[in-house]
Amino acid sequence: MAGPSAHDHHAPAAHGSDDHHAHVPGFFARWFFSTNHKDIGTLYLIFAIIAGIIGGVLSIAMRMELQEPGIQIFHGLASMVYGFQGDAAIDGGKHMYNVFTTAHALIMIFFMVMPALIGGFANWMIPIMIGAPDMAFPRMNNISFWLIVPAFLLLLLSMFVEGPAGAYGTGGGWTIYPPLSTTGQPGPAMDLAILSLHVAGASSILGAINFITTILNMRAPGMTLHKMPLFAWAVLITAFLLLLSLPVLAGGITMLLTDRNFGTTFFAPEGGGDPVLFQHLFWFFGHPEVYILILPGFGIISHIVSTFSRKPVFGYLGMAYAMVAIGAVGFIVWAHHMYTVGLSLEAQRYFVFATMVIAVPTGVKIFSWIATMWGGSLTFRTPMVWAVGFIFLFTVGGVTGVQLANAGLDRSLHDTYYVVAHFHYVLSLGAVFAIFAAWYYWFPKMFGYMYAEWIGKLHFWVMFIGVNMVFFPQHFLGLAGMPRRYIDYPDAFAGWNYVSSIGSYISGVGVLIFLFGVFEAFARKRVAADNPWGEGATTLEWQLSSPPPYHQWEQLPKIK
Amino acid sequence: DQPKPWQMGLQEAASPVMADIRWFEQYTLWFIVPITLFVLLLLVVVVVKFRAGANPVPSKTSHNTAIEVVWTVGPVIVLLFLAVPSFKLLNKELVLPEKPDVTVKATATQWLWSYEYQMENPVSFDSYMLKEEDRAAAGKTDMARYPRLLAADNELVLPVGKSVRMLVTAAPTDVIHAFALPAFGVKIDAVPGRLNETWFVAEKEGLYYGQCSELCGKDHSFMPIAIRVVSEDKYKTWLAAAGSDLAKANKDLMAATDGPATVNVAQNTAQ
Amino acid sequence: MADAHQKHHDYHIIDPSPWPFLGSVGAFVMALGGVGYMRYLSGGSFKLFGLELAHPWLFFIGLALVLYTMFGWWSDTVKEANEGHHTRVVSLHLRYGMIMFIASEVMFFVAWFWAFFDASIYAGEAIQVSRVEFTGGHWPPKGIEVLDPWHLPLYNTVILLLSGTTVTWAHHALLHGDRKGLVRGLLLTVLLGVLFSFVQGYEYVHAPFDFKNSIYGATFFMATGFHGFHVLVGTIFLLVCLLRALKGDFTPKQHFGFEAAAWYWHFVDVVWLFLFFSIYIWGGWGAPLSHG
Ligand code: HEA
Ligand code: HEA
Ligand code: CUA
Ligand SMILES: [Cu+2]
Repeated sequence: MAGPSAHDHHAPAAHGSDDHHAHVPGFFARWFFSTNHKDIGTLYLIFAIIAGIIGGVLSIAMRMELQEPGIQIFHGLASMVYGFQGDAAIDGGKHMYNVFTTAHALIMIFFMVMPALIGGFANWMIPIMIGAPDMAFPRMNNISFWLIVPAFLLLLLSMFVEGPAGAYGTGGGWTIYPPLSTTGQPGPAMDLAILSLHVAGASSILGAINFITTILNMRAPGMTLHKMPLFAWAVLITAFLLLLSLPVLAGGITMLLTDRNFGTTFFAPEGGGDPVLFQHLFWFFGHPEVYILILPGFGIISHIVSTFSRKPVFGYLGMAYAMVAIGAVGFIVWAHHMYTVGLSLEAQRYFVFATMVIAVPTGVKIFSWIATMWGGSLTFRTPMVWAVGFIFLFTVGGVTGVQLANAGLDRSLHDTYYVVAHFHYVLSLGAVFAIFAAWYYWFPKMFGYMYAEWIGKLHFWVMFIGVNMVFFPQHFLGLAGMPRRYIDYPDAFAGWNYVSSIGSYISGVGVLIFLFGVFEAFARKRVAADNPWGEGATTLEWQLSSPPPYHQWEQLPKIK
Repeated sequence: DQPKPWQMGLQEAASPVMADIRWFEQYTLWFIVPITLFVLLLLVVVVVKFRAGANPVPSKTSHNTAIEVVWTVGPVIVLLFLAVPSFKLLNKELVLPEKPDVTVKATATQWLWSYEYQMENPVSFDSYMLKEEDRAAAGKTDMARYPRLLAADNELVLPVGKSVRMLVTAAPTDVIHAFALPAFGVKIDAVPGRLNETWFVAEKEGLYYGQCSELCGKDHSFMPIAIRVVSEDKYKTWLAAAGSDLAKANKDLMAATDGPATVNVAQNTAQ
Repeated sequence: MADAHQKHHDYHIIDPSPWPFLGSVGAFVMALGGVGYMRYLSGGSFKLFGLELAHPWLFFIGLALVLYTMFGWWSDTVKEANEGHHTRVVSLHLRYGMIMFIASEVMFFVAWFWAFFDASIYAGEAIQVSRVEFTGGHWPPKGIEVLDPWHLPLYNTVILLLSGTTVTWAHHALLHGDRKGLVRGLLLTVLLGVLFSFVQGYEYVHAPFDFKNSIYGATFFMATGFHGFHVLVGTIFLLVCLLRALKGDFTPKQHFGFEAAAWYWHFVDVVWLFLFFSIYIWGGWGAPLSHG
């Protein structure tokens, strides 16, 4: 697979000089002490794939549980993993389901999507695309990666540590609302999860500082902000969102920690605190976070659509400033996740209004992608197929978001599967489709080999059918009133749940096809051209060899 | 009301607010479905018309101010169309009737609901999920009327056609729960230390079910909300009796409502 | 070999470095140990695969590793600066980096101010039954005796403002090649920083309210406590600059390490002003005073 050894076969040929090989550090120094953005990007990608598999396995276990009414597998899992017996296994299993949901979400968000898009693709491509030899802080880049590893370990370990009395792991949902995350689960598991978020947050803040500095300071001579590739715009805005939202989460979860361990009462009403305060702090981070997950994808889709349409991006400036608008407005809509906590009428009105506004710049993006294709000469290589899938499925997820934005209607839909359907359409069918699009788009560039077109297409179609089958029926479940975070549901919900679970198995097969495709490409070693996509691919990375030299742009490119 | 197999839409309305929510949901669909289909249509057109095979030479167009204005202003207009009825609905939900006929306080604890009728000598009781083994003893063997995971041992009993104000909270040192009743269009968090309120008018007699809607620990799936809406007479009789002997009051009420005649009524409401 | 792999730019291509990896190991041990330490303090247990980790020592091992990493890493940075790797553009990176870092710190404090204002402005919000019961419907909560802002807090405000001027004095001295002024200014700033911390410590010990079981204590001690922690960090940062100045580092043209410390110090200063006005003065208005 995308293991490190694959690289060692590649002497950076043609460009640069052959002596570069001499500069490539030895194995340990190269992969553990790295200061090279491409190697660090590769590490991030490997990490994201592993996390994606773990997060996916957890979700499939959840779907197996939900395939039929009644408790199906979790009492068994609990006795297997934790050794519970009898009734204890049932109780342990019920909690374990919540642990899986929590871990699934945190892993997918913090350890799969963010490392893939920001740590992986942005790390690899941003310096190259803006004509820079590396990131602004190459050594700090490496600690961003290496911090994410202990963060992940802490989260995984928390699953084997006491949570609530007599059960293991943290089952508070990824939103970790107190008091369920304070007095509700007094064991050390929650402390581990909180510190995991602290460490992951530190990693991301450092990464954000690195990207902002790199993009603002290291663009090739002549590349003004308004000539910068849209992916760079996307990552720049994402980095600002990270920089300004994560510290607020850090503050909030620090309060959780002190409430849990040092007797403060930030969220304890009996001491004058307020559980709802945490929700404000969480969503002040949480909402920008969802745009952090999608904006880099927006950037990538722009390049892919333009490349395979053989046409420049339509409305470049509109595209860039639409993302700025999404990022900015994203900071003032957070309480649309809290319509049922008892906010005043005025507050709810405001948040309805502000939230709906975001549909406008997002619409600009959707229509500009289509306009980019309009009049183009389209070829449907694998990346383009994923990109077109993205545009459609993201729209489906986006318009249900607009429904949810209406507090009056959200009253019925909040905390039901309708919300689950909404956010998987924008995440599992949005962000993840963008990741796979990027993977196939840059795979030949990064690793020097061509993937097999038929595997890529097969992967797409299996995944497309799978995830739609998982999540489309969840709209019906949500409308009918099925609450989320339920291990068991009334029998009337059985039908659609069954369909949804079958869909998840198909998605699982999709992931296996993906892995096989990676294996196949590295096994067959079809050497990729420097630019396999033809004249539509205009950004700087296509001017380098595939894979690029260990240090690129030792002579800075000049942009007209 | 309760969900039905393969149901694809919102539950039937049993309160004026829910009727409006249902209307608004349909209304939004009239915008978002066409928008989505429009995007799909454009994609199909593009894929067919501008395939490399069909269109070997790409155009170089990358700007068109007019169309950019259109696709910015268009959505703004759509959103205004959504916002106006949305705000109206919100008002209706959040502005409580000045003099509610009945006020009940619901307190959530891991994992049960406690109800307290706000009156001189408050009637109060706990409501747990009906356990399968207790079905027979409770006389609730009819799975259609008392579905698994939805039925409770003691229902909250309310009069039909009267405005009800619900005060919702959680026990002081408990966790957050949420009081939800889909058919009434009601969902409000039960937060420790906070006293939230909401309201509804149940328009038809029958049994109505909801479920706890905020993650509250391992038995989050197992603390349903069951409401029995009856005529005002029956309600008064029940209330008078419930203070001293709840079990008997419930038995009597069930005998009076679960008879063959009323099953019909219930089925009508369950359409 | 010739010029093929010679770089034609002023960016700093850094050699592989052990610090990030070591630091992350330290972070892991420290986090794990931190949980153990907290359990130890509360007399609880922290069993991981049957291993009892409720001890303080793991935390300190992690902390030591992290501190060692910081020392090694920044020593390398200083060495690189002295070797001339910090070209104009690299210094610019460092500037951007520091500004960005401070921006994130500002957002961190936003969280604490948010908690404070939520509790103080909404102390009497009717639907928050328990809170109203606790506070009596006003801020500061009933039964709380507050610190007199015009005593120690005012002294501390003056101390910090003064330290802001002394650090500026040091900067000007540096710019004019006055090494003595630089050292004196820095020394004075460090001393003022230490003095501030002592006064703050004294105030904490004599505070008439508790950290535990009260939202007043929670918001007060966590906000001022994190500020105090930043004062400590800033003081150490300035102390390092002082030592470097004594060693002969920094030139009038190039002294970003010093500037970063000064920026950081000003940031800490500004946060204090906000704390002083909102928590001490406004937040204590009308409450009985304590004179420790
Ligand atoms: C990638 C992640 C992502 C993205 C991009 C979005 C995008 C949006 N989200 Fe979503 N959301 C989540 C991830 C995301 N969300 C998650 C994870 C949750 C749940 C968290 C939890 O509770 O666990 C959530 C929950 C959530 C809620 C709370 C629901 C609840 O808990 O009750 C709301 C409510 O307003 C909402 C709204 C929106 C809106 C309005 C958008 C908009 O940005 C969408 C804009 C896009 C479009 C509208 C489509 C394209 C536009 C056009 C074609 C133009 C024309 C369209 C119109 C005029 C309508 N989201
Ligand atoms: C990015 C985010 C993301 C992704 C991808 C997914 C993917 C999936 N999710 Fe999940 N999910 C969440 C985020 C995500 N989810 C969140 C935030 C929640 C809420 C949790 C809470 O309530 O607290 C949730 C909750 C949630 C629930 C509700 C649980 C409940 O409320 O009780 C369910 C149930 O069906 C579910 C199922 C699935 C399934 C079947 C998939 C499948 O699509 C999985 C198939 C696998 C993949 C699509 C991943 C493949 C990716 C890779 C292998 C990496 C590739 C990397 C590179 C190429 C570099 N998820
Ligand atoms: Cu109570 Cu969920
Ligand atoms: Cu949101």
